[in-house]
Amino acid sequence: MASLRDIRKHISSVKSIKQITYAMKMVAAARIKRAQSAILASRPFASQMDRLIEDLYGELEEGDFSASAAKALFDERHPGGIMCLVLVTADKGLCGSFNTNLLKAAASWLRENRGRKVRVVAVGRKGRDFLRRLKGLDMEISHEMVGVFPKAGYVHAQLLCDAILKLYLESPVESVTLIYNEFKSMLAQRIVTDRLLPLKRHILEKNACVRRAGEFSFEPGKSDLLGALLPRHIGAQLYRALLESQAAELAARMSAMESASKNASELIDGLTLKMNKTRQAMITTELNEIVSGSEALGS
Amino acid sequence: MEKKHLLLTIVTPEHTVLSDKPVDLVTIPAVGGEMGILPGHASFVVQLKEGVMHYKEGVHKEVFSVLNGFAEIHKDKVLIMAEAAELAKEVNEERARQAYQKARETLAMHGADIDLDAAQAALKRAAVRIKLAEIRRKHKQ
Repeated sequence: MASLRDIRKHISSVKSIKQITYAMKMVAAARIKRAQSAILASRPFASQMDRLIEDLYGELEEGDFSASAAKALFDERHPGGIMCLVLVTADKGLCGSFNTNLLKAAASWLRENRGRKVRVVAVGRKGRDFLRRLKGLDMEISHEMVGVFPKAGYVHAQLLCDAILKLYLESPVESVTLIYNEFKSMLAQRIVTDRLLPLKRHILEKNACVRRAGEFSFEPGKSDLLGALLPRHIGAQLYRALLESQAAELAARMSAMESASKNASELIDGLTLKMNKTRQAMITTELNEIVSGSEALGS
Repeated sequence: MEKKHLLLTIVTPEHTVLSDKPVDLVTIPAVGGEMGILPGHASFVVQLKEGVMHYKEGVHKEVFSVLNGFAEIHKDKVLIMAEAAELAKEVNEERARQAYQKARETLAMHGADIDLDAAQAALKRAAVRIKLAEIRRKHKQ
């Protein structure tokens, strides 16, 4: 049986752990507010951008389009090239199954594309470390970005976008897949596996020709404009993924730390009970000894 | 006749700077040169380069800095989509210079643990700010 001192020591160590987890929970809760409002604030830009792209495409003649540089981003490339993966994870642990689930999804993606040449763009320290540990794959980390959370800004998305586009345009990459966690609610995250490039055509054709053609003037030319807009569209998409992942990470950390604090409280309760019982038992034994001693003397 | 207004909206990925603000005159730094917009302007889509943007509302005048973006003018609505937009008077040249220096030094160190991406991003931001401050100074003179 554990001595009183041991139990006290155990209780105090659990208490200090609880303090840490509780503080982490509070920090995450405070940051999540900001992360959520960042997501909301990024929406107008993205939707306006999409609308402008649609409008622009509606104005373009098919011939102009196929001659423009923008078309390269839409073309399906013939299969057999390099596969590219963009994996967005957290920088830090202690957020429940957030990273584990992501890494599982990434591992299954890698298994699907076994035998292919794979290039990876890793965002977040956890993902990078995981990919570095993998052996026996034809894989190369072509770009990495660590330490951006929880202060991911549009500049980061832009740097990422530049790196991905450079990779895409310079080497025969067949497609670029993006894996990240989507912020669904405070309690749930959803893993999203999305194709980033080649761009899907439907972003162009959603509801084009809502406005009459020929109404707008353009400077510079339409196809140049489209060519300049599309990288920004990709940037906005990446920015959204970063923000979603950031908010999801904070939410996951918050709930993980909350349950950790709860578990610590339960553990402390149990240990306190045990400590009291031990103490009572000690007192009882002592009393017993005294009573039996006095009885032995008195009789 | 009622006086016409332009409705100015400025959005950046990080936040909405202005939303449907009625103004009298807007000038934007288009790729082909400065462009002034008054109510009744033809529909237009234009690419922007980094520079300063003014708008005038009565006697009140405001200067903004914008960075790489697009503007769309349609039916007296001006929509600016820029990667960054700031009130020019909020840009602090001295601080921008310091940030630029610091980012340069961080990049030069090339250590293993240094966050290169953040430094690169900071460098870019600082460079733009300095440029803006210079443009602002020029415009004042």
